[in-house]
Amino acid sequence: MSELPVQAVLLLLLWGTVVGLDLVSVPQAMISRPLVAGTVAGWLVGDVEAGLRIGVVFELFALDVLPVGAVRYPDYGPATVGAVALGAGFPWELSLGLSSALGLVMALLGGWSLQIVRRWNARAIQRRAAALAAGESSAIRRLQYGALLRDAVRGLILTLGGIVAASVIKDNVRLDRQTAVALTLVAIGSALAAAVNGAVRSSGRKARLKWLLAGAGAGILLAVLA
Amino acid sequence: MTGRLRALLRLFAVQGTWNYERMLGVGMGYAAEPLLEDLKAVDPVRHGEAVVRSAEFFNCNPNLAGLALGATTRAEYEALPGAQIVRLRTALCSPLGAMGDELFWAGLVPALVGAALVGVVLGAGWWAIAGFLLIYNGIRLWTSYWSLRTGMESGMRVGAAIGTSWLPRAIERVGPAAAFAIGAAVPVVAAWYLKPFGFSAGVGAAGVLMAGIALTRWFAPFLTTVRFALAAMIFLLILRRVGV
Repeated sequence: MSELPVQAVLLLLLWGTVVGLDLVSVPQAMISRPLVAGTVAGWLVGDVEAGLRIGVVFELFALDVLPVGAVRYPDYGPATVGAVALGAGFPWELSLGLSSALGLVMALLGGWSLQIVRRWNARAIQRRAAALAAGESSAIRRLQYGALLRDAVRGLILTLGGIVAASVIKDNVRLDRQTAVALTLVAIGSALAAAVNGAVRSSGRKARLKWLLAGAGAGILLAVLA
Repeated sequence: MTGRLRALLRLFAVQGTWNYERMLGVGMGYAAEPLLEDLKAVDPVRHGEAVVRSAEFFNCNPNLAGLALGATTRAEYEALPGAQIVRLRTALCSPLGAMGDELFWAGLVPALVGAALVGVVLGAGWWAIAGFLLIYNGIRLWTSYWSLRTGMESGMRVGAAIGTSWLPRAIERVGPAAAFAIGAAVPVVAAWYLKPFGFSAGVGAAGVLMAGIALTRWFAPFLTTVRFALAAMIFLLILRRVGV
């Protein structure tokens, strides 16, 4: 991996795997939220500012996701880790756009990989249907551990893919300053659109919408004063 | 370690075997195993049947799964008819899903994320992130413990126990808090990002924001915000390449 030391790459792989597991399987402690995943990834590669800036952008995108029932959604955790691998070490004003592009592609791949793992889980259950019908607890345990392993491998592969892609982009893509800044602004504008969409959808037209507008008023005031 | 504590810990992996056929079913069976252990010595046949039932189709919000797990386990120990236990389990799917999703995904998570985003922008940094994780996981741990205990204590009367509990009131309160926190976070974060770029860049980003909201609404569900963002980036790169 160019630029990132091997130790940092290994730590990112470990972190990306844990983050990938956290999204659905275990422990759902919210370390897979991009804000957390990105900031910790930034710390691991020695650039907390980049991790934080990238993490917040993906957090805004993630606010558009309501992971209820069997809904399909992008996996922003390992994607954020990959994006940080690309953006770390550069001024965020120039690197945020390209990092976001990589992260968004990885997030879509991550969402797709979740469906694959879920189908594999179903197949594993079908293979052990007889043992499940016989009430064998050991079959349930094996299914559970197998599924956790599959999800861990999914997180690892996604993170590895993100880091490799980051390395390739670093070595081969050169953007002029204006384009890099414009990409960053597009990423920020799109992320804000995602957050607004998510907030308005969750609020509906009832009392919550009033609270959303009150919050927006307070936020504008804070933004002016800060 | 007691069976109940092991079951509580296993509940944190209740979605481990998530799939489109049984959904949380196998995860529930995995969490039920320590609770059903004592039944093995008393009535091995019943234990086998209970294990089969525990891993059948089930879906709800994972943070409230303990209510169903506890209630059905108690029903197994009370030797209620299997069909009645299956009906209880099925009946709990929708309300536990709806309430848990409202409380956690549409309430607590956005409320805490919004607060954390504001905290980060205002300079709290790691403290804001640590606060988010500590508060969320504290509430979640307590909810999981309460769910399992309430389910075990109430058994078939778990519906009434939920209705008179703190859950419905908490859902009412956390929704407005979430809306306020996200409403506050968006302009604060926008200013944090856009201040270094100046006014014209801010106008450009606002244009992308408005286009993003409008287009993703008009062309939903095909055009998600992620697809919009990627399309806008590709469009920009093409424009830059042709020299616009």
